[in-house]
Amino acid sequence: MLSFLGRSLIQKLVTLFFVSVVSFLVIKLAPGQPSQIDPLNPKFTPEIVERIRKVYHLDQPLHVQYLLYYKDLFTGKVVSWRDERPVLGKIWERFLNSLPLFIVGTLLTWTFSFPVGIRSAIHRDGWYDKSTTLISYFLISIPGFFFAYILIILVVTKLNVPVIDMQTFGVTSASPLVHFMDRLWHLVLPSVLGATGGIAVLSRYVRSQMLEIIGQDYVRTAKAKGLDEDRVYYRHALRNALLPFVTMFGMILPGLIGGSVIIESIFSWPGMGRLAYEAILGRDYPVILTINFISAVLVLAGTLVSDLLYMVVDPRIRLE
Amino acid sequence: MMQPDTQRPQTVSDDVTLMPPSRSPWAETWRLLRKNRVAFTGFIVFVLFFFIALAGMALTSGAHPVLDPAQVRLQEKLRPPLSAPKLDSLKPEEIPPLGRYVLGTDDLGRDVFARMLQGAWVSLTVGFVAVGISVAIGILLGGIAGYLGRYYIQLGHLIYWTLVVCAIFLALAQSLPAALLCTLGAGAGWLFYYRRRRHPDRPVAKGLRWLIWPAISVDALIVRLVDIMLCFPSFFLILTVVALLKPSLFNIMVVIGLTSWEGTTRFVRAEFLSLREQDFVAAARALGLSDLRIIFRHIMPNALAPVLVSATLGIASAMLTEAGLSFLGFGVPPPHATWGNILSDGKDYIFDAPWLTFAPGITILVVVLAFNLFGEGMRDILNPKLRERN
Repeated sequence: MLSFLGRSLIQKLVTLFFVSVVSFLVIKLAPGQPSQIDPLNPKFTPEIVERIRKVYHLDQPLHVQYLLYYKDLFTGKVVSWRDERPVLGKIWERFLNSLPLFIVGTLLTWTFSFPVGIRSAIHRDGWYDKSTTLISYFLISIPGFFFAYILIILVVTKLNVPVIDMQTFGVTSASPLVHFMDRLWHLVLPSVLGATGGIAVLSRYVRSQMLEIIGQDYVRTAKAKGLDEDRVYYRHALRNALLPFVTMFGMILPGLIGGSVIIESIFSWPGMGRLAYEAILGRDYPVILTINFISAVLVLAGTLVSDLLYMVVDPRIRLE
Repeated sequence: MMQPDTQRPQTVSDDVTLMPPSRSPWAETWRLLRKNRVAFTGFIVFVLFFFIALAGMALTSGAHPVLDPAQVRLQEKLRPPLSAPKLDSLKPEEIPPLGRYVLGTDDLGRDVFARMLQGAWVSLTVGFVAVGISVAIGILLGGIAGYLGRYYIQLGHLIYWTLVVCAIFLALAQSLPAALLCTLGAGAGWLFYYRRRRHPDRPVAKGLRWLIWPAISVDALIVRLVDIMLCFPSFFLILTVVALLKPSLFNIMVVIGLTSWEGTTRFVRAEFLSLREQDFVAAARALGLSDLRIIFRHIMPNALAPVLVSATLGIASAMLTEAGLSFLGFGVPPPHATWGNILSDGKDYIFDAPWLTFAPGITILVVVLAFNLFGEGMRDILNPKLRERN
């Protein structure tokens, strides 16, 4: 156990090192200079461009830039090129904004997909199974922002609820209850949208997992013993079908950053995805690199956690 | 003794009773596809879409296209679908050849139907080329990892190739002294291996023995490579690269292709690992066939079915990715119309001209849905467990 932990930690550190090199190279070798982001601005005289390049070490060779950047990152001194604010502080602020969206979305995903998946597995090829399958494919195939616009039109015109941004402008002066309800309403659409894709995929996965377990001999035995169906499905089958999902707990972590760019852009939600998007637009390399690095750490931590969880939950698994 | 066929009256029932129905794998797949109604519908839409895209390319390209997607008619902007053009305000060459704006016009008075036709071709190209690239990389890396994975790479080889890659990168980044240094190192490495190849039985000098230390197996190297790629959130990576490289049709296809090969690599590797141990591969090896021939003629056809399924699903997701990039302003730039950029241009007129949003939105939905249903259906059909039951 300890040796497994030690070896996989070393392996993950090596991977992380290569990820940092690759992301650095991708960004630095792309054509275009961050100092020339606004070439038509008359304030950007050659002297100023030169000064910018000096201040941000852009005149140094690549490997020196790499070392300087990661030294700054680990001492927490990396600053954004746009406003000179510490990158970590900026990301933390946006992270706190993304967090409610992420939590509500994840909760919705996990609470809805299991009942749906289990039910369609039990009533295989029934009308329920067929319709949820079709709906799932519908949700997987619809372009996210198209779906978002349909929902926004519905909610705004039928329910008269404002949904853009995190709260209605000026609502802070209203009573706490109104304020709270306003925040809640603004949370609903983006998190539902974030969850739909997840529900569609996860419920399909639950269904296939459950189907596989239901086909096993011990389930037939349990039924043959005369146990009632609920007991067979929810005590014998479900427990075993749940095993692979334990590992998925580790995999939700990276979702904090990844899939939220489009949704946060639609709803002008000042979260991590939006920060990443703005950083890309402004060629704010420290922010892009830091977000990339954090998400790589999250992915690696997620796989480690899921490996460990699997080992704890399933006694048959022995990771040498 | 078997009688010759000429003397025996051959009827259909005769065949059936004498031997089990023997169908070629293709005929069997086709039969199962016909039975799976949902997948078959997906297949029909898939084929229809293919022909529409071909027709779209024929009708909208060239110097004088039949339906001109770039024809601007500012006096006719935002006309609803099926509306007739106001003939007296149009020059003869501006009159839509169909006599009506089948899907309306956009904010510049361009015929949305013509743009959708052009977009069908562009979207199809984006999907197919991107998936083609990712499948090619996936098959190559997965095949190498699965078939040749047991071989070890020597430390010297690793250093040698790292130096070569570094030299190329540094030369591109125009830091010449460092590039020269790397080239020198790589040259020394080349000399070392050249001499080893010339005299394979001569023992390596004691000081250089660490160079031939087996550092990592080919398989482990490729699996690590996949791990590294999986650390990047894919949409964010695509967005970053496309934004930094300036969006163009070519860049988008290549970038989507280069960032989505991990899945294919993984299961091609898994397929190869299991197929490598089968008897027919041992037989082929006993016949003295070359590795390349065994990989491409003997193993690959057996591993191809799941690759094709995931390619179908990959085309669907590439089209969605392209639409998402268009929405964020990094899609295929204006001279080409794609469904993604028609959709994202339409969002500014969603209340005044909903057809600009709904026509491309619903089309993308239908086509992607068809690809997904067809792909998933094929996955079931090609599953041998299911085959026995039917």
